[in-house]
Amino acid sequence: MMRFGYLLILLFFFGCASYHQVNQDFHHEFRNGDLHQALEILGDNENVGSGRNRFLFYADKGLLLSILGRYEESNSYFEKAFLYGEDFQKNYVAEAATYLTNPNLKAYGGEDHEHLFVLYYKALNFLKLRKPSEALVECRRLNIRLQQLNDKYSSGNKFQRDAFIHTLMGVIYQSTKDYNNAFIAYRNAVEVYEEDYSEMFGMNIPDQLKIDLLNTAAWMGFNDELQFYKEKFSMQDYSPSVPTASLVFFWHNGLVPVKGEWSINFIMEQRENNWIVFNNPEMGLSFPFQVDGDNDRRNLTNLEVFRVAFPRYLERPVFYESGILESAGGQYKLELLEDVNKVAFYSLNQRMMLEFGKGLLRAALKKTTEHTIRREDERLGALVGLINAVTEKADTRNWQTLPHSISYARIPMERGNNTVELKLSPGHGAPATYTFKYEPAAGETLFHTFSSLESGYPRY
Amino acid sequence: MIRFVLFLFILVSCQTRSVTRVQPDATYDLSGRWNDADSRMVADQMINDLLQSSNFTEYAKQKGNKPAIVVGIIKNKTTEHIDASNYIKKIELAIYNSGTADIVESEEFRDKMRVERLQQQDFADPETVAEFGKEIGADLMLFGEMTSETDVFRSQKVVNYVTSLYLTDIETNKRIWFGQNEIKKVVRN
Repeated sequence: MMRFGYLLILLFFFGCASYHQVNQDFHHEFRNGDLHQALEILGDNENVGSGRNRFLFYADKGLLLSILGRYEESNSYFEKAFLYGEDFQKNYVAEAATYLTNPNLKAYGGEDHEHLFVLYYKALNFLKLRKPSEALVECRRLNIRLQQLNDKYSSGNKFQRDAFIHTLMGVIYQSTKDYNNAFIAYRNAVEVYEEDYSEMFGMNIPDQLKIDLLNTAAWMGFNDELQFYKEKFSMQDYSPSVPTASLVFFWHNGLVPVKGEWSINFIMEQRENNWIVFNNPEMGLSFPFQVDGDNDRRNLTNLEVFRVAFPRYLERPVFYESGILESAGGQYKLELLEDVNKVAFYSLNQRMMLEFGKGLLRAALKKTTEHTIRREDERLGALVGLINAVTEKADTRNWQTLPHSISYARIPMERGNNTVELKLSPGHGAPATYTFKYEPAAGETLFHTFSSLESGYPRY
Repeated sequence: MIRFVLFLFILVSCQTRSVTRVQPDATYDLSGRWNDADSRMVADQMINDLLQSSNFTEYAKQKGNKPAIVVGIIKNKTTEHIDASNYIKKIELAIYNSGTADIVESEEFRDKMRVERLQQQDFADPETVAEFGKEIGADLMLFGEMTSETDVFRSQKVVNYVTSLYLTDIETNKRIWFGQNEIKKVVRN
């Protein structure tokens, strides 16, 4: 009996901790910028969590190695993450088991935007390794992923078009002198910023994107399109020019929100014709379910109030508010390309009704099991009820080393030595300054990413 | 109902991925976007139009020998990332196999050949060195443009792809052949 009690205590603690809390040592080191230590904690065991969290292991490891400049190794992990996402199939036995315990029992398949970010990092790693052909492969994969995302939802107001990824594709195509595909990508990006991002995330079209679109239209000889977009952007005086070389600088600011959980108490009410309704009057939530068979109805009749856990995002506020680059050519503002924080919140919100449905079905199944066992053995039934209560938990997994937001700037460079200063401004106080040196060849586009890991801790 | 849901989960757990090899000319329309069947339709029609073109035949006859063709740029003004080489390579192959014209390598390949030729001067056996000044100048250039018009209403979409190819005399700028293909698709979600 003592051993059983110990098991219950373990279950209680395991049941309470979120994915972030379970891995807090790793995240503590990562947040503090001790990436070598974070890498050591992450270890080499890809079967962490019995393989259920493999996607996150690959993604975290790939991202850490990328920041450390170990691009080849990083890409080997990102490739594993990509293939994992490609081959991911729901294990329906594990899926069924989650309805008797909690969703953490099944393998984590990754959020839509997380799969796009795997390819984003991979493409950038290749570009930093000066392997543009390999980066183009990732570009084509991104295009397929975007198409899949676009086809995933038939109703509007869903996050199904990613303007940042379209822009990235344009930047990569442009760097390989494929101005035609760059133009198409930029035009698609402008459309998504205008039609989706302005409404969903309150974002505008970055000025650099407008310039890149006009440049590629001009370089392709698309004169009608050039005039159209000049008028559209009120940039009639803009005259496209080819720089000697250029630098595309991506700033990864802060950290993406982490998933925590929240619980709601529902009251079960029986209605006519085998319908039962789960109600939460305070929140105005009401979910009807139809039950078949006397057993199910009898078991659920006994339900009164029960707790259901759901996932929610907890923002980690950014430390730096804005950034600029300074070079001999002038000052360049780092413009917001993707608010990953808002994308994450939006993606979870858009499927919250599905999460409610799954959570309630899980609760109903657990209660049915408990009451069935209670009829045979009251003590055992009570124990099952207790286990059900402590194992009730939301899926709090997400790729937590991603940035809060991504901004960028394109800087013209001269052949040979170029010095660039990055100035990051916090809300209060002096800006942090970093100096970088670049040596591009004529006609070359260099890529640089800078990660500011400073951010607020999630509030529980 | 609840047991039924569980039963359903376990039942479908038997589903596994299957892969089947099919004929390359089989048509599968999944998303409604440009796909291999469209590239094949463009190639088939253009090959037929070009090889049966009286203007092209007349040009070859007047020239007295097989004209040499080089492939130029195919501009893509659609909203999709379409690789024109999917159908251009088919057209090149058909021209090559028909024996009606010679194909001259594109600019990108010519540059690589010139580098190779240059290096041969220093490193290859003098008896096997490729000589300078023996490249064949193309008579005609194949180039073209792809455009699309899209009409969307609620869950329906109509897309019309227009692919135009031109074969132009490099010396005179005279258009020798002009082919056009249209593919119209209706996509309902």
